[in-house]
Amino acid sequence: MMHPLLATVPVFSQLEDVMKHALHFFHASLGLPWAWAIVATTAVVRMLLVPLMIRQLHSMQSLQQHAPEMKRIQQKFKHDKQKQNEELMKFYRENKINPAASCLPMLLQFPVFIALYYTLRHFNTNFLCTTPLAANASKAATAHWNAACNATVQHTDLSFLHFIPSIADSATAHWGGYVLLVVYVASQMASGLFMATTAQKSQRVIFMLMPLMFVFVIARFPAGLTLYWVTTNLWVVGQGLITRRLVQRTPAPAPEKRSSRTAPKDDDGTSGNGALPEPAAPKPAPAATSQPRQVRRKKSSGRRR
Amino acid sequence: MNVVLRAPRYAGVGLVWAWRLTFGALFPTTCKYEPSCSEYAIQAMRKHGILKGGALAGWRLLRCNPWSHGGHDPVR
Repeated sequence: MMHPLLATVPVFSQLEDVMKHALHFFHASLGLPWAWAIVATTAVVRMLLVPLMIRQLHSMQSLQQHAPEMKRIQQKFKHDKQKQNEELMKFYRENKINPAASCLPMLLQFPVFIALYYTLRHFNTNFLCTTPLAANASKAATAHWNAACNATVQHTDLSFLHFIPSIADSATAHWGGYVLLVVYVASQMASGLFMATTAQKSQRVIFMLMPLMFVFVIARFPAGLTLYWVTTNLWVVGQGLITRRLVQRTPAPAPEKRSSRTAPKDDDGTSGNGALPEPAAPKPAPAATSQPRQVRRKKSSGRRR
Repeated sequence: MNVVLRAPRYAGVGLVWAWRLTFGALFPTTCKYEPSCSEYAIQAMRKHGILKGGALAGWRLLRCNPWSHGGHDPVR
């Protein structure tokens, strides 16, 4: 897949070095098996991206508030997708919301991926057979080194839950790898659903079909890389579920004119507005939170998704 | 313009496509800008060549962070 020449690029070997130390830390200092060290490293990478998720959460909240105006724009330009897109973008900018993810954080995952790829490819020499073989070693010395290395590899637990024998081997080396690949496809599709909430329908279909093609490429990578991907995807799905929950729950401060216009129509009378002032008085706080929640849920159901 | 002179920018556009079809497709995201970052890179390199266009694309990528607002942002 990746050209061996790329390994000589100094940046890549430095990336490999960083990843090597991260994995080694989780394995040697925290005592995690190698496979779980990968999972832990992935989790740390995703944790670093959590502040970005919080940004995303805020903009999803304000997106819900502005749903009616956006619907109007969509209606107005429904025959001209290009124009519609432009107008929506302009609207986002005016209201300082950005529903779509930004490219930069996505790009930051690339070095992580490259680093892990090379670290796993050179797994044995990185971690297990660390004494380098001299370049001018004799045939006997080379044979001895190989034997010692093989013995070390044999005695190291490189498995993931014992159904993938080695994270450094390609995923297709064992039936467990195929199971992992199936999990990968499923998790990638699921995370695609969450990441592409703002995409158009055709684009979303592509996101769903992509893993089916990529599984053939990934099958040739070390199984640990698939493990990284599965972990990332599951994290994204979990994050997406939590985000959706929070967006539906948190009553973001609604713009005044909008709530005053929509509230009477949606209200069943319990949330005030002069209809039942006395019963609403004993518990003002729940009433105050339940009103926007109701309004917003109505909006969210009208959203294209 | 001469085909030879245009060759580098075609190579640049090819690189963007390679990205799109490989890694970009693995991590599906929608860009907050319009045109998207990769489309912007292609247009910028077609128009300004690989050096200036590439620099413009790089600058756009840096702007495409969670603290910017996105929006309509064509190549000038």
